[in-house]
Amino acid sequence: MKRIKRRAMLKGTLFGGTVAIGLPMLDAMLPRTGAAQTGAAPKRIVFWFTANGTRQDIWSPPGNMDLSGHPLHAAMAPFSNKLIFLDGVDQDVAYDSIGDGHQTGMACVLTNAEILPGTLFCEGNCDAGNEQYVGWGGGQSVDQYIADEIAKDVITKFKSLELGVQVRSSTVWSRMSYSAPDQPVPPREDPNENFTDLFSDIESDPFALQLIQRRRKSVLDAVMEDHAAFQNRLGYDDKQKLDKHLQSIRDLENRLNVTTNFGEACGQPELNLPGGSYEQNDMYPVTGKAQMDMLVMALACDLTRVASLQWSRSVSGVRFNWVPQILDEGHHGLSHYDDGNGSARADLLEINKWYSEQFAYLLGLMDGIQEGDNTLLDNTVVVWVNELGKGNSHTRRDIPFILAGGCQGYFNTGQHIDSAGEPHGKLLVSLTHAMDKPVNTFGVPQYSQGPLSGLT
Amino acid sequence: MPQGIKVCVLVSVTFLLSCNGAIGGGERAANDGVAKSLCVVDTPIRRLTRFEYNRTVRDLLGDTSNPADVLPPEEEVAGFNNQAAALTSSDLLIEQYMKVAEDVSARAVGNIAALVPDCNPTLDGEDTCGLSFIEDFGKRAFRRPLSQSERDRFKSVFDWAVNDADLGRFEDGIQVVLEAMLQSPSFLYRPELGEETPVEGDVVPFTSWEMATKLSYMLWNSMPDAELFAVAEADELRTKEQIAAQATRMLEDEKARDLIRNFHTQWLLLTHLDSVSKDTGVYPAYDDALRPLWKEEIQTFVEHVILEGDGSLRTLLTADYSFMNEELASFYGTDVLDSVTGPEFRQVQLDPDSRAGFLTSAGLMATHANANQSSPVFRGKFVREQLMCNTLPPPPADLVIEPPELDPNKTTKEQFEEIGANPACAGCHTLMNPIGFIFEHYDGVGQWRDQQNGKDIDATGEVVQTDDIDGIYDGAVELADALAGSTQVQECVSSQWFRFAYNRTVTQEDSCSVEQLNDVFRSSGFNIKGLLVTLTQTNAFLYRRAVELEPNATGGAQ
Repeated sequence: MKRIKRRAMLKGTLFGGTVAIGLPMLDAMLPRTGAAQTGAAPKRIVFWFTANGTRQDIWSPPGNMDLSGHPLHAAMAPFSNKLIFLDGVDQDVAYDSIGDGHQTGMACVLTNAEILPGTLFCEGNCDAGNEQYVGWGGGQSVDQYIADEIAKDVITKFKSLELGVQVRSSTVWSRMSYSAPDQPVPPREDPNENFTDLFSDIESDPFALQLIQRRRKSVLDAVMEDHAAFQNRLGYDDKQKLDKHLQSIRDLENRLNVTTNFGEACGQPELNLPGGSYEQNDMYPVTGKAQMDMLVMALACDLTRVASLQWSRSVSGVRFNWVPQILDEGHHGLSHYDDGNGSARADLLEINKWYSEQFAYLLGLMDGIQEGDNTLLDNTVVVWVNELGKGNSHTRRDIPFILAGGCQGYFNTGQHIDSAGEPHGKLLVSLTHAMDKPVNTFGVPQYSQGPLSGLT
Repeated sequence: MPQGIKVCVLVSVTFLLSCNGAIGGGERAANDGVAKSLCVVDTPIRRLTRFEYNRTVRDLLGDTSNPADVLPPEEEVAGFNNQAAALTSSDLLIEQYMKVAEDVSARAVGNIAALVPDCNPTLDGEDTCGLSFIEDFGKRAFRRPLSQSERDRFKSVFDWAVNDADLGRFEDGIQVVLEAMLQSPSFLYRPELGEETPVEGDVVPFTSWEMATKLSYMLWNSMPDAELFAVAEADELRTKEQIAAQATRMLEDEKARDLIRNFHTQWLLLTHLDSVSKDTGVYPAYDDALRPLWKEEIQTFVEHVILEGDGSLRTLLTADYSFMNEELASFYGTDVLDSVTGPEFRQVQLDPDSRAGFLTSAGLMATHANANQSSPVFRGKFVREQLMCNTLPPPPADLVIEPPELDPNKTTKEQFEEIGANPACAGCHTLMNPIGFIFEHYDGVGQWRDQQNGKDIDATGEVVQTDDIDGIYDGAVELADALAGSTQVQECVSSQWFRFAYNRTVTQEDSCSVEQLNDVFRSSGFNIKGLLVTLTQTNAFLYRRAVELEPNATGGAQ
């Protein structure tokens, strides 16, 4: 992979090649000249997705929340007082919806809405002549809802930021964010592109930046006029499609001149991406780390307040070759073995433990960034979601949800809650409350009557 | 839509056959006998795929950097990534369109003389050259002449740049016009709105400009060339003969290779090859460097058969030759009868008793296998789904699926026979596993074997529940021969091309177009090139219904 182009004038080195030097470096960063944090730090929300369920049998934390000896979550021990483990929260809506286990788990997890009928993706009982097909997810996802609401108050450089690590395909199995029913939101997967999109402004000289913004505005104005004329000739259905496109251009133009309210820690992250394509299986950890580094920096720079990081996709077939114990078999295949298969269970432990370590890395970065009296993590809620509870049964009950960060004290962290079968829609409602954009229900009302109890 | 019905389900071949009776009572209709109001099914407006975008800027600007690779991936539906109804838009896509347009434009103005070949801004004036660029380049970028208001619009962007205090150069004007054009819906989408005057009822033909674009994206996955533009300008894409003549010419052009490769990459699931990984303890001959060679072998082979060879489906399935370089040939060992030296691919003779067409290529065999053993399930599934157009249900949600552990005392076939016998699995696996057994001479990396674990390979399997090739086969060479003669396979291939070429699934209303395709395919001895030309001769391709400006009451998400 081409190394990120670095300008000689770069002031500080943030996330280095290893976890170890990332955090101390933050304090050493020089505050950027001309960039000052104004007002109180905003609340942020981050969604974190991993696939194929977990080892439900060993997932829960001990009663005292001491994670240091936990088989999966030991790496998260330093943050245990900032975590909430949720047992017994079910994706009830997934059982009403059309679609197979992975499809519903994925499309419903942030929408709490049933999948739309459609002819796009085959599911279930699809013998020749008797195929069952489904469409895209059937509701706006909670991240997009919150982003839209925040956009009414403040325009950040990105309304929301969706990052992916080897998500690859675009299907109902691989999308969890929806801007509206039937409108999936793709994540940014190429770390090189992502770096340019997020951080090139920061090192540009202000004059050049203004010129870029000015010319973009001129060009986009012409493009929008062109769209309007073009659409006049179209039929109704085609016009709907182009309307969405035009709206995106308008939004893009509105965000062109946003000057970022740089936080003290804000700067270009340094990424060391070794050779090879970010799409290759063995690049998964390196790509993931780069995306995490950039996600945290995007929050620190207030480029957005709503973000997500999607590791692979539902039915993830990532091969964890870098975990020595694991056979050369994909995650999804391993998740299908019987509970009695000791070797597969050991592999699943390693996989989910590895994801916990990545989660801990993200939390560490966020907790290392001071924003007034709080850390970035304290000002944020990070929500770990999964499309399933467990891979071999495809259950969408007891989804392994973890909340991290208190969202400025909204959540009562440092606890383990057993919700005993509450629908996950209530968790989504809680998240809207935490972000000060409260709704009474989200998605299907039946499964989202008010916030989930015990969280605050 | 007739009777206001808008059915857009995927239709299996069996289904299509049974519904042919509804129109024409089983009569074999040549297209000329088909009323123009029949089998006219509109395709929604579609945007360029990344593949098409890349080819288009290559042909428009000579930009071979594949700039669209950074765009979000297309939605994959019905096996292909170019299905108009499925392609969605997103904020990210629009943002990336802008950045790609900026990059492409910045590169292009590096050679300004090539962009404005017949105009010298110093001698002829910047205004004159700017306008002629807008007109000439715009016509190629939008694949039709620009309207006066479009010329004015792009001219004012040009004027803005050449008058801007910080820009101000002629090149800046050209550059911003390029950026704007590359973000215009007239570039990014392929509108096919048709003529205003119907030929029959509400059925309208396409303008010659639209037809040129339809042909070029179908047969080249790119924009029209100078000759297509010339015949469009002369309005000479009106008759079926004119259209067929262009299609025939286009298939002789180098750019047809893009079409053949793009189609087979998707139909034969060659992208799956990129993520193949093998247990080198079991397969010491395996090396990741083989993957691109495996893929190149299949691509070169299908390209050769269709564009240079006899073009028949039978040859694709049964040829006793292939294309390899030294490294790949040595991997195949004694199956390759010629000696090959050097890194260049060349045609080689294969042992006709062990190899047949693309089906037994190492790339396909290795893709449809596990890391440490062959997979009769995956191989059977591939034949069923890709070649016979069956759709197999995924395993029941509550079933635990366990590929067998390697057993040094059994063959893979013996192990999978045990699993297949489980009544919970048998329903579906009798459709797949026995077909997979027929491929058991090819191990998990596609190398030939006579024995496994000290036992002779038994490559017999019983094919069941097909339209016309039920029976017991011994080895893939025998099976490939049967597949080549199967009407089910022939019609499946024709329907795969239909979906890919028309960017949509087959609907019930397409029956006369499908019948026409199958008839011509059959009478040509199943010639793929002939099928491609015929795809330009159906009502489904030649006509649309007049644009409805009001919402279609029966419309909705497709």
